[in-house]
Amino acid sequence: MRIAGIDIGSRTVKLAVLEDGQLILSRNTMTSYNPLATAQELMGDAVFDVITATGYGRHLIKGHLDCPVISEITAFARGARFFSSDCRSILDIGGQDTKAISLDQEGNLRKFEMNDKCAAGTGRFLEVMATALGFTIEEFSKAGLSAGKAVKINSTCTVFAESEVVSLTAQGAARDEVALGIHKAIVSRSIGLLKKVAVPGEIFFAGGVAYNDCVRVLLEKEMGQPVFVPSDPQIVGAVGAALSSL
Amino acid sequence: MTFNVSDVKPLINDEFTGEPTKRALQYISNQRASGMPVVGLYCGYAPLEVIRAVGAVPAILCAFADKPIPAAEEVLPANLCPLIKSSYGYIITDTCPFFGLSDAVVAETTCDGKKKMFELISSHRPMFVMDLPQLPDEAEARSNWATMISKLKGFLENTFGTSGTSEGIEAEIQATNIKNRLIRRVYEYAEKKPPLLSWQELYELSYLAQVATTEHLLPIFKEIFETIEERDDKGIYYGSPSSPRVLVTGCPVGGDSTKVYRIIEEAGGIVVAMDACSGMKPFLSDIEEKTGDPIGAVAQHYLEIPCSCMTPNTRRLTELDKVIDRFQPDAIVEVVLHACHSYNIEAYKIMTHVKEKHNLPYLKIVTDYSEGDVEQIRTRVEALLESI
Repeated sequence: MRIAGIDIGSRTVKLAVLEDGQLILSRNTMTSYNPLATAQELMGDAVFDVITATGYGRHLIKGHLDCPVISEITAFARGARFFSSDCRSILDIGGQDTKAISLDQEGNLRKFEMNDKCAAGTGRFLEVMATALGFTIEEFSKAGLSAGKAVKINSTCTVFAESEVVSLTAQGAARDEVALGIHKAIVSRSIGLLKKVAVPGEIFFAGGVAYNDCVRVLLEKEMGQPVFVPSDPQIVGAVGAALSSL
Repeated sequence: MTFNVSDVKPLINDEFTGEPTKRALQYISNQRASGMPVVGLYCGYAPLEVIRAVGAVPAILCAFADKPIPAAEEVLPANLCPLIKSSYGYIITDTCPFFGLSDAVVAETTCDGKKKMFELISSHRPMFVMDLPQLPDEAEARSNWATMISKLKGFLENTFGTSGTSEGIEAEIQATNIKNRLIRRVYEYAEKKPPLLSWQELYELSYLAQVATTEHLLPIFKEIFETIEERDDKGIYYGSPSSPRVLVTGCPVGGDSTKVYRIIEEAGGIVVAMDACSGMKPFLSDIEEKTGDPIGAVAQHYLEIPCSCMTPNTRRLTELDKVIDRFQPDAIVEVVLHACHSYNIEAYKIMTHVKEKHNLPYLKIVTDYSEGDVEQIRTRVEALLESI
């Protein structure tokens, strides 16, 4: 049987199809003002027997496909175990959410924490900050990694931090040092959530922000725990949704 | 979430079904028209027996809507508790009909925000602010609170030109006990699995029972028990036998913040117990009768309300244990209003307690009266219920 999961996130829509325990199809695209159309386009010619939806747009899809839905938290909990069969601590930094999740030995949801309703310290925050400094997302991470020291950024609120960055650059602060400061701010905020739930051992890092090496390196250093990033950190929620179709 | 059959007779079957504020408003208007003065209240610490003994009718003032908050924020800071902002907004926009009917207002020093807000509205009505002891187990607390209650009685008597007697307060204590026992009998049907009544019905009953006298409630209770026993006989229940049962604790929940109850039910849960001053807290215990010191007995009873303004609020945990034992929830949701520091900090103790002692999943929701966070709350609530 082919099982599918669709994760309609705030910035991207992801589709995963599994067969016999193997991920056979993985797609993602940017979310538009019409997430339903985006999701339908993404599903396109994909062949599957059952599908489960997750992410912010899950209830919208449910209305059209009459499919089951699960919360992102459960989806990430299940999806993480697909990529790392014994993981117990999960951090997902997506477009507008940060989730920290811990599992028991059997993989059941033990505790979770999410950021407040604003997008402070999330993927969207990093995008805006990179733009404010004139970097692409890839350059931004590299700049952070190469900086010798960091300029302290006090806010993870996207609006406040942007004006803080403008003030700093106007005072002549080095761009890569500001970049490192921003990465430290997002890591410090994520750790605040993670420490409430995490257990010792490896941290499974998912979501689009997991592609950012600077965040990963800082996270590993600050937590003092190894951080594992799966080959496609964005697909984890869709895989978890697919697995719950069984 | 619905009943298992359609066309279920409402618990309180009158023209106000689903509109508890309108029902209370009509009741208070009628009482006032018969010559009774009205006392506006903001909090569960206001001693209702004394207010009734001086011949007045209590009215719960508006505090639960988002609508007047923008007007309030022209004066008050935005990062303040929505209940306080809403209360103030209602007064300055002159849109709280209960305040319009009130001849006096009773306020308590439960938190800093309320204290300072009361100063701003004190010119609108004769107001009595009660200094609430916040270490309730100290030896002086009871006598200090009893003194405050005596002073309140004097204030009401002077303001209304009436007088209340010890016998009158004793009679009101006994009337409250009869009412509370009847309400607890209604709660027995919420304890059932699945429950026989909805959270809306429990909420409506609490709302009416805080303002109406026991005498006026008796015929309503008679009908309530007929209705509910009929449900029992016919096998009518709310939700389904497999719906997770949720106990909601924390800050008062009403009006726009009932979005949390709604979201819990949309996610497939049933709210079986409301552990807050807006829900079951006022009715869960009796006042000691025939002590010869009715004001002292009233003081003792109200001091035992486990609001997070008290410290150390150990009674909150022991009372919560009883509510958990009675209603057998599958999960605990705590509602904390933005900037309510005492409930927010105490939430850590509640989370630890329910997890360690009862092994129950727990979720804290920090929210306000706006609709802006509904989807974020939904994600958390769905995850909580999926984890059961």
